[in-house]
Amino acid sequence: MKYFGGCDVGSTYTKAVILDEDGKLVSSTTIRSKIRSQESAELAMKEVLEAAGLHSAEDLTYLIGTGYGRNKVPFADENISEISCHAMGVHVTDPAVKAVIDIGGQDVKGIAVDTDGTVKNFALNDKCAAGTGRFYEAMARSFEMSLPEFSKLSLKAKNVIPITAQCTVFAESEVISLVGEGKPEEEIAAGIQMAVAKRCFVMAKKAGAVDHVALTGGCAKNEGLKAAIEKVLKLKVVELKTDPQLMGALGAAEYARQKGMAKER
Amino acid sequence: MRDLKHFLFFEELVCSSNNDLVRKAKEQGRVCAAFVCENTPEPLFNLKGCFGVRLTAPNTGSTDIANYYMTSLLCETSRALLERAIEGGYNFADCIIAPDGCTMMNRCIENMELARAVESGSDAFFYEHMEIPMKTDENGVALLVRQCRNHILTPLNRTYGIDISDEAMREAVRSHNEVCDLIRQIGEFRKADKPAITGYEFSVIVLATYVCPKDLLVEPLRETLEELKTREPDEKGYRARLLVVGAEMDDPEFIRLIEECGAYVCADRYCFGSFPGREPIELTEGEDVLTQICRHYTYQCQCPRQMNMDKVYARKAYVDALAKEYGADGILYNQIKFCDPWAYERVTGAATLREEYGYPVLSVDRPYNIHSSAGQMRTRVQAFVESIEVKKLREAR
Repeated sequence: MKYFGGCDVGSTYTKAVILDEDGKLVSSTTIRSKIRSQESAELAMKEVLEAAGLHSAEDLTYLIGTGYGRNKVPFADENISEISCHAMGVHVTDPAVKAVIDIGGQDVKGIAVDTDGTVKNFALNDKCAAGTGRFYEAMARSFEMSLPEFSKLSLKAKNVIPITAQCTVFAESEVISLVGEGKPEEEIAAGIQMAVAKRCFVMAKKAGAVDHVALTGGCAKNEGLKAAIEKVLKLKVVELKTDPQLMGALGAAEYARQKGMAKER
Repeated sequence: MRDLKHFLFFEELVCSSNNDLVRKAKEQGRVCAAFVCENTPEPLFNLKGCFGVRLTAPNTGSTDIANYYMTSLLCETSRALLERAIEGGYNFADCIIAPDGCTMMNRCIENMELARAVESGSDAFFYEHMEIPMKTDENGVALLVRQCRNHILTPLNRTYGIDISDEAMREAVRSHNEVCDLIRQIGEFRKADKPAITGYEFSVIVLATYVCPKDLLVEPLRETLEELKTREPDEKGYRARLLVVGAEMDDPEFIRLIEECGAYVCADRYCFGSFPGREPIELTEGEDVLTQICRHYTYQCQCPRQMNMDKVYARKAYVDALAKEYGADGILYNQIKFCDPWAYERVTGAATLREEYGYPVLSVDRPYNIHSSAGQMRTRVQAFVESIEVKKLREAR
């Protein structure tokens, strides 16, 4: 059996996936990124290779790096942008999905997926950290909560307190003021989720989303955000059967499988 | 590929406005006329005893002081130039000629003037603000002629005794055309499947012709052209050939970043580029030289400042023609952040070239110094290159 790897070195988390030659997911891992991309890639690959019962990256027929640190993945045969990899990852998970919003640690991307999993069109919002994973980390910190706790907080809200600041730093100050004023925390959280959902609107439009969209990246696990997107954008958020945070690494591994198999032939 | 003999020299020239050739020309006692817009007729600065330098601000860091004067909502180029002036980067200039190509550049130069940012060694130092046409017609030509006479020629003659006769202007055009011809011939190498020059190298060489006395560049350019005729191209091919279109662009690092993503920049249509800025000026007998120069600049202009509808459509056709001539697989429209004229042109141009002409188009806004956002830009460009590559493979199948 031949094995193929994808390693997605993101700004916040590093993900790795190994597929077999039939495209079956053999192992995967997600670790917190280190300051040095190469170190993150090495650690993630070590974990995922061990889980697959392989000894080293040399046991892989083909390995592709993706993400912010894609050109720092040791032993990688090549690197592919995370935009292409997220599209392919979602395509192999659910070929019916044609629009993706990837909310990563430091940017938001809208991706239109073609029938073969390649990118039809894309748009990026990277002007600042607002609406990204970093933003959520700052917000959770303001509430003295973990990210999973914070992501569910807004689901209990009966009203929404809009957050006016777009900047992460100013939004954090605004949230602290609102908490200080004694406003209900779940309603402030609902305001935060709505603000991020609205920022996703342009990305969804650019991705050509009509009635449904898939969320990928770490923020895809945020239940409050999913609810806000469904409510504000009036789009059904597709439940992916594989961890949405793994989509970049999965797409990279699928590209590795296609290229590796073609090379073997 | 083997390094070009003069390439390091060209790279060093574009790293500072007050570069070796500017200093050399100043030592020769020549007057330096600095300018800030592609719509300024450059040959008028090539008059004997004078030379032109288009202002740039390489390696810009923070623009804190310029932000104070201009706010952070104006174009980054105008803020970078003001900041560099305040840092003392343009003290070599003997005058600054500022056309109203855009309001932001106007504000930039006004602030330089108010803040007395340029401390020239010359007591005769002056600023001139001039108007340039917004329409491509003979009224526009007449306006530009008057403005050039009043705000470039007369002040240069009155202040520094520069000869502004027709004969002197004819000689200045000849010198300008000599450089344009060399650039165009060097640029032709980009048409090859395996080009003997990279897009990055070409962008550096062209940029040097904007920021140096032209006559001092002729020999290195001529030798570079000869060298290219026998230079062995890299065997490794490119994944996609791109035409870069857009606003003010004096940062070759942006071109290098694009090529590091696997693309080849086969043609350029931006301020500081070879199209249309290095198209030679054809002079005839029987009409005064200034009018002919101004007609060339009015009609060849591809700046979105010109708003007559026929010109708006013609700009897209111009891009299409360039893409065809240089075999581009895709087009990259770029705009400097907060640039007003290109904010419209980029959106309409990208949509028209994509939907009506059928090109893959990537549309981006970028910072003045690409290094401040290189990671994100690299992701965009690489994804674009990958999508073109897939399209080409599909078509081949």
